[in-house]
Amino acid sequence: MPHDVTMPQLGMAQDAGKIVSWLKAPGDPVAEGDALFEVETDKATMEVEAQAAGFLSGVTAAAGEDVPVGQVIARITEEAEDDSAPPEPSAPSAPSAPQSSGGDDLPEGIEVTMPQLGMAQDSGLLVAWHKSPGDAVQADDVLFEVETDKSTMEVPAGADGYLAATLAEAGEDVPVGNAVAVISAEAPSNPVTRSAAAAKAPAPKAEPEQAEKPTERETRQKPASKPAPKTAPANSANGRILASPKARKMALDQGLDLNRLVEAGHPQPYHVADLEVLKSLPTKSAQTNAVQTRHLTAEIPADGFADFARWAADTAGLSDQNALLAGLAAACLPTGTGTVRVEALGQSHSYAVMPGPLSTIQPAEPDRPADLILRDLRFSRITSVHLGAEPAPVLTLARNGDALAITLECAGDHLTASDALTLLSEFAGRMEQPLRHLL
Amino acid sequence: MREITLSQAVNEALAEEMRRDERVFIIGEDVAEAGTPFKVLAGLVEEFGTGRVVDTPIAEPGFMGIAVGAAMTGTRPVVDLMFGDFIYLIMDQLCNQAAKTHYMSGGKLNVPLVLRTNLGATRRSAAQHSQSLQALVAHIPGLKVAMPSSAYEAKGLMKTAIRDDNPVVIFEDKLMYQDKAPVPEEEYLIPFGEANIKREGTDITLIGTSSMVQVAEKAAEILAREGIEAEVIDPRTIVPLDEATLLKSVRKTSRAIVIDEGHQSYGVTAEIASRINEKAFYHLDAPVLRMGAMDVPVPFSPALEDVTVPTPEGVAENARRLMSGEMIHAA
Repeated sequence: MPHDVTMPQLGMAQDAGKIVSWLKAPGDPVAEGDALFEVETDKATMEVEAQAAGFLSGVTAAAGEDVPVGQVIARITEEAEDDSAPPEPSAPSAPSAPQSSGGDDLPEGIEVTMPQLGMAQDSGLLVAWHKSPGDAVQADDVLFEVETDKSTMEVPAGADGYLAATLAEAGEDVPVGNAVAVISAEAPSNPVTRSAAAAKAPAPKAEPEQAEKPTERETRQKPASKPAPKTAPANSANGRILASPKARKMALDQGLDLNRLVEAGHPQPYHVADLEVLKSLPTKSAQTNAVQTRHLTAEIPADGFADFARWAADTAGLSDQNALLAGLAAACLPTGTGTVRVEALGQSHSYAVMPGPLSTIQPAEPDRPADLILRDLRFSRITSVHLGAEPAPVLTLARNGDALAITLECAGDHLTASDALTLLSEFAGRMEQPLRHLL
Repeated sequence: MREITLSQAVNEALAEEMRRDERVFIIGEDVAEAGTPFKVLAGLVEEFGTGRVVDTPIAEPGFMGIAVGAAMTGTRPVVDLMFGDFIYLIMDQLCNQAAKTHYMSGGKLNVPLVLRTNLGATRRSAAQHSQSLQALVAHIPGLKVAMPSSAYEAKGLMKTAIRDDNPVVIFEDKLMYQDKAPVPEEEYLIPFGEANIKREGTDITLIGTSSMVQVAEKAAEILAREGIEAEVIDPRTIVPLDEATLLKSVRKTSRAIVIDEGHQSYGVTAEIASRINEKAFYHLDAPVLRMGAMDVPVPFSPALEDVTVPTPEGVAENARRLMSGEMIHAA
């Protein structure tokens, strides 16, 4: 049975290797251990040895070519002059590192896998971790040490971020291509520490679609909630922030949260000078309030809008009721202007509302993100809603007998509590007596 | 102002005090005709005679014991210990007797004794004549320890020491005997426990003792060229220690390096750094660094000896590291 010769992975960040030269010619007899070809990566040049005895055949890559890691570039056959067709360049046989860890309960981030350091290597012994879970890492930082039957090698992180998960312990043998660590972009709240033995059977062969679906669904279900690390970074066991006593004290005195520097990826330890960086970070309130949902309801005894719309159409030719609703609603936003999407009777219309007369309201492009959503359920049987926050504040109009119920729902970072109250009460006032709007 | 050497300054201080108070006398090896190997006492025996400038046999425990007894009974001896390294020989007389007599006699006896000795490496004198052992005696309650950094301090501190009613150990740097500094002609004393701010700065405090004050000043000059303003402070006496001045400076600069020529471990630098840590913790923006001599016997080889002690370049480099916010000692 022919033995495939593949391009080995010589470094974590390596996805291809350049064949410097072939040391054997097609048809040459080779012994196990003979140097077959030379590979150059961005770090080193290395001779690759034959892993089986036989005859070199089916060479598909010439010297000077860049070949993806894992691709079969030749065969070692049992007989010379093997006529079997050269193998088609195939997909990498070694599982390549997935870019994000889906499913499971691992932190999101870039997976670092056990590299293949030799042709015949199917696993590597994790000798030691050089970083601890929760540590900030840079791409060039040594993450762990691997021992194969030939050598011990330091493996770099390959990406900037934080060591969010270690999936093998020192002393464990890890199959090549299996995830060993997860590097997250943000400081993890609860870095995961696992042994390879305890980890579930690795799923690198899983179809990418399958791996992604749960994450996607989860994201849709919780549109307003932010990833966990943002809410409780200080509670992690390894979340001790390295800061000078003076910096810590000044931060305390000035009400500054050093966690935000961690979240921003600012390198520790923190000194007084770093507090200036902290002060320049965008305000935190949006993040802390993100999980809160505001839900306000107002009720007015009668809907004054229908008469107003009729009057506007008759006297000013403004026949688009949705545009009028958008105008009334946008005027109640803190800025008094914005893009309003009106959803009614299964249809959706976006309007760009500028300060000024209702006649200046223009339709907006449908894909333009809305600053405010106005859901008109007056002509449905729904009397009240509690749908939770959506990407923009939502005003819902519902009829309740003769009365009109107006509900405002939004995420905490969309509107401050006082802005939300103002928006709803103003809008309710305008719906009751739309002529007020014109004053 | 006239400039005189540290050696002349000590000589003047002794002569002035011996003229002022006839109870003051000098005792030690080679103090009379020889005037000590460093010629510090040259001329004193001519003025005061061998009755007040007393040569002894080579027997440190003996003459130290004599001096302690003489001090208890009404004189004010100035003991000349030729090398600071010989302190080991007189530990009982100094630490068990002189240091404790006032306390153990319920205040009935005083030991108004001055032990003059020296410190300092890089004189190619090998491991038994190059040590800086101030930490040994500073550790003992009942002893005061003065460390002059120039001729001016040497004279003012010596006169204060002689007038003190309790034992005082003065360490002179044996490499500084020929260093000149402005010294007033008129009499002056330097009180104990009053640090001297040698140079004002805002970015980092360099605390040096004895010749390390000069090292700190040279480091400050290097740093000033790079835009780092170092404050240099000379405590002048390490017992008593002028904590207030040190802490005030560190509260201003947020950073400190303590430099002393004794071995770094369990040394003077550790004590001062620790006090800063305890009392100015919330003002620190960087760890307080100690810079002492390497924890090795002082080598005889000049090439090796020179790298065992703090240098201006080394101090400046550490100051840069503190200023840069570098992680000094990662866990």
